[in-house]
Amino acid sequence: MKPILIVILMLIPLAAQNVPVQEFVLDNGMKFLLVPRRGSPAVATGWIARVGSVNERPGITGISHLFEHMMFKGTHVIGTKNIEEDLKLNLELDRVKSDLRKEEQELARRLRLGEIADVKDPKNRSARHQQLLAEIERLTKRQQELLVKSDFDRIYSSQGATNMNAGTDHDFTIYFINVPPNKLELWFWMESDRLANPVFREFYSERDVVHEERRLRTDSTPTGRYVEQFEAMFWKSSPYGWPVVGWPSDLEAITREDAVGYYALNYAPNNLTACLVGDFDPAEAMALAKKYFGRLQRSRQEPEPVRTVETPQTGEQRMVASADTNPEVRIRYHTVADGHIDEPALTVLTSLLNDRSGRLYKSLVLEQQVANAASSSQNGMKYEGYVELRGVAKPGKTPEQVEQALYKEIEKLQTEPAPPRELQKVKNQFAASRFRQLQSDFFLMFQLLIADGNRGWRVINTDPPLMQKVTAEDVQRVAKKYFTAEGKNVLVFYTKKKAGAGGAP
Amino acid sequence: MRPAVVCLLLCLSPAALPQDAGIPRHPRELKFRPRPYTPPRAADHRHRLSSGATAFLVEDHDFPLIQVSLLVRAGDYLESSGKTGLAGLVGSQMRSGGTKTRPPAVFDEEAAFLAANINSGMGATQGQASLNCLSKEIDAGLELFVDMLRNPGFAEDRLKLARSQMLQGMERRNDSTASIEGREIARLMRGERHFSTALATKATVESITREDLAAFHAAYYFPANFALAVSGDFETRAMLAKLEKAFAGWQNRGEKIPPVPRPDHTPAPGVYLVDKKDVNQGRVRLGHLGVTRDNPDHLAIDIMNDILGGGGFTSRILSRVRSDEGLAYSAGSSFLPGVYYEGTFAVGFQSKSATVAQAIAIVLEEIDNIRNNRVTPEELATEVTQAVENLPRRFATAGARAALFADDWLTRRPEDYWARYSERMRALTPAEIQRVAQKYLHPEQLVILAVGHQDDIAKGNPDKPQYSMTKFGGGKPSLRIPLPDPLTMVYPKQ
Repeated sequence: MKPILIVILMLIPLAAQNVPVQEFVLDNGMKFLLVPRRGSPAVATGWIARVGSVNERPGITGISHLFEHMMFKGTHVIGTKNIEEDLKLNLELDRVKSDLRKEEQELARRLRLGEIADVKDPKNRSARHQQLLAEIERLTKRQQELLVKSDFDRIYSSQGATNMNAGTDHDFTIYFINVPPNKLELWFWMESDRLANPVFREFYSERDVVHEERRLRTDSTPTGRYVEQFEAMFWKSSPYGWPVVGWPSDLEAITREDAVGYYALNYAPNNLTACLVGDFDPAEAMALAKKYFGRLQRSRQEPEPVRTVETPQTGEQRMVASADTNPEVRIRYHTVADGHIDEPALTVLTSLLNDRSGRLYKSLVLEQQVANAASSSQNGMKYEGYVELRGVAKPGKTPEQVEQALYKEIEKLQTEPAPPRELQKVKNQFAASRFRQLQSDFFLMFQLLIADGNRGWRVINTDPPLMQKVTAEDVQRVAKKYFTAEGKNVLVFYTKKKAGAGGAP
Repeated sequence: MRPAVVCLLLCLSPAALPQDAGIPRHPRELKFRPRPYTPPRAADHRHRLSSGATAFLVEDHDFPLIQVSLLVRAGDYLESSGKTGLAGLVGSQMRSGGTKTRPPAVFDEEAAFLAANINSGMGATQGQASLNCLSKEIDAGLELFVDMLRNPGFAEDRLKLARSQMLQGMERRNDSTASIEGREIARLMRGERHFSTALATKATVESITREDLAAFHAAYYFPANFALAVSGDFETRAMLAKLEKAFAGWQNRGEKIPPVPRPDHTPAPGVYLVDKKDVNQGRVRLGHLGVTRDNPDHLAIDIMNDILGGGGFTSRILSRVRSDEGLAYSAGSSFLPGVYYEGTFAVGFQSKSATVAQAIAIVLEEIDNIRNNRVTPEELATEVTQAVENLPRRFATAGARAALFADDWLTRRPEDYWARYSERMRALTPAEIQRVAQKYLHPEQLVILAVGHQDDIAKGNPDKPQYSMTKFGGGKPSLRIPLPDPLTMVYPKQ
């Protein structure tokens, strides 16, 4: 074997492979990133709004994600047969919904006092309540008659655009679609129109859709509710503690007026970046960007960064749960936000632990045979970050034994510097995965936008070399600094005993 | 909130909005340059190695990487009945169990240091293996990769670990409604005797030995049974020479690989329920048997299904169940033609317990609707354009091209299929769509499966008492499917 040779050869092409991005900013503050690639079969397009659940507050948790859904409901031109009537109906619906809220608040009050058991039971409703529901049904029906269903999607699809979707995370909301190269102007038309003239129609049925999404991802999965509770325990003051999808009570209470205010503040062009990767002419794209997105108005005030900082943890926290899952342990420590000078060392540290040739598999799975699977990760977000280590206990072993074995590995990281060859192995993997990450137009667009949503797109070129500079001492130093006894957060899963017939013996 | 802004958005009439110079009022006024497309031909990239393997090579010099993917004609269908789980274990243990000369830890360490991603696995009717490495490391990478393919070690301790992991996974078989739904709809469609519904049990997994793995590997892993897809940063001639050398002297076996068996089961229409008390959302799948890929109507069926429920937001089922009623986050249908035997038509969605019946009723209405009425020319045009315009994206990267060529070759797709695809799609008419809807959608044959909290599902929505689970299945009483013992897959008698 020839480690030294490989090292040198790998570092040469790395420096040469910077992503060539053409950047420009419109007068209204909207930023564009262009990466032309001749011969691509499509243009991967997207834009990012620098807003996510971390920018919410109690009462409207989940609004970032709900709002993402509303951006597909159309505009003054798209999605309706009669915009005047449609807007009038929206206002009427808001008025009736506001009256209905008073009825719902009354039911909530009675539930609090134990006077009723179920706010959904029609028997508990007042006559006025029932009347308002009928009124809503009547207005909704009239609005549906004016709708051009799924018009936004249909216009794109009928021109051959594909993979239209969007996503919301703690720190950002991203919208994307692939368009045929000859139809790039359609993208400029559609995206600038939904930013300039959106109409949040079908708001309340979409709120129900989002609640179904929550049931699908959280409530009706074996561990969804437990992991949600662990997150809420881990974050004390930081808004990362509530779920992106939102708390159920908020999902049933967010109003259309909430969404309108949220849009005005967070979807102004100075809070957005767009990106195109694929077969297009950058000069033409720049002209189209000015023509279409130039009409958006800069907001009078810039959205403020999140104020609430996670307060330091003072003692170990444990959550013990029985669920329909294998016996497992997860250990979390608060670390650093995305881009912190300690993040490369923490990322290298977790890489030393991971994969087939990593320490956790070798030690916990193969040698000690205490776990059947184990992994770790550094998760740097915009304002905070954490390292999580996990292990699934082998049958006959306990999560506590896995936990102790994980602490042993942490201790080893703190007391012994990583051998040079082991360190070089993970660096080689970073170097190769760098190329793999740049291959897909779509994935590159996605990464550029997410980078620009936080520290700026240039980190896509400047971060990778930092990994190569991490030393064994760096790894040892961050292991000591962040993995402390009072900073532990532990989630222990036991397998829930099955009850009754039909279950496992 | 800032009321001034709110008012601006809520109260301005569209006439008062500034008209933007030069921006068309509606996207239909935009003009696009035509962009004709001819798909690449597999024959231009096909090579036959002297060992008997067929290879498809596609060069791409944008990044210093090479991808080698291997497809093998083998799969679960070749397992003997007491050895369910064997094929999957062969696939995974080829990668995990080292080689005859490299113990597992040595193999893993070499691959990791080279930063070479090497994988192996096996599915129902195909085995796969792949290598992805820096192009300058292709010699070392290919040597490791072919050592794994030719001389797998199947180390005993790794097999023991894999068994333990499989048994642990089995314990979780009845935990999520999603996995229960997938398992039970397959059994309802294919019956219990077909290989596609045979599941590994504690007994079968414990009976699988290292010798079983080695025998399975020896029987099916030989060059004439391989299709290779190679893409990336190489010169074709030089790469061919490397492949020739890597596969040289590898003996082929004489016997023919047995054909994939067809299921002999006729699904029994009706309503089937699985009770799971700890969820607040029901998962529903309904469907019946479909067609094979060589059915001349399969493109028309594909478009018909897109309009019904396969085309995302523009499809009728998602539009009604999700955007009109807010009853589900995801809802849709699939009508995938089978390669070796009939595929299935299936509709799936998830809705809170109280509205499961209402959503099923809407789906049934839409199935009737597409049979009884012609689709509009606009609906047809939307889905056809999308399919035709999406064709270049199937060949988007060198890797995608090579992989599609190899898969088409292994599954014997007609050579002119992609060249004729757009023309055949564009020839479809609303009458043709209705004809295939009537011919291939069979409401009376539907199997309806609902997994969830059955008391709550039966109760329904107090505000919509007209919807009830008792209205489906032609008045026949619904059947309860119990949960099997996850380790033996024995279902309790009811």
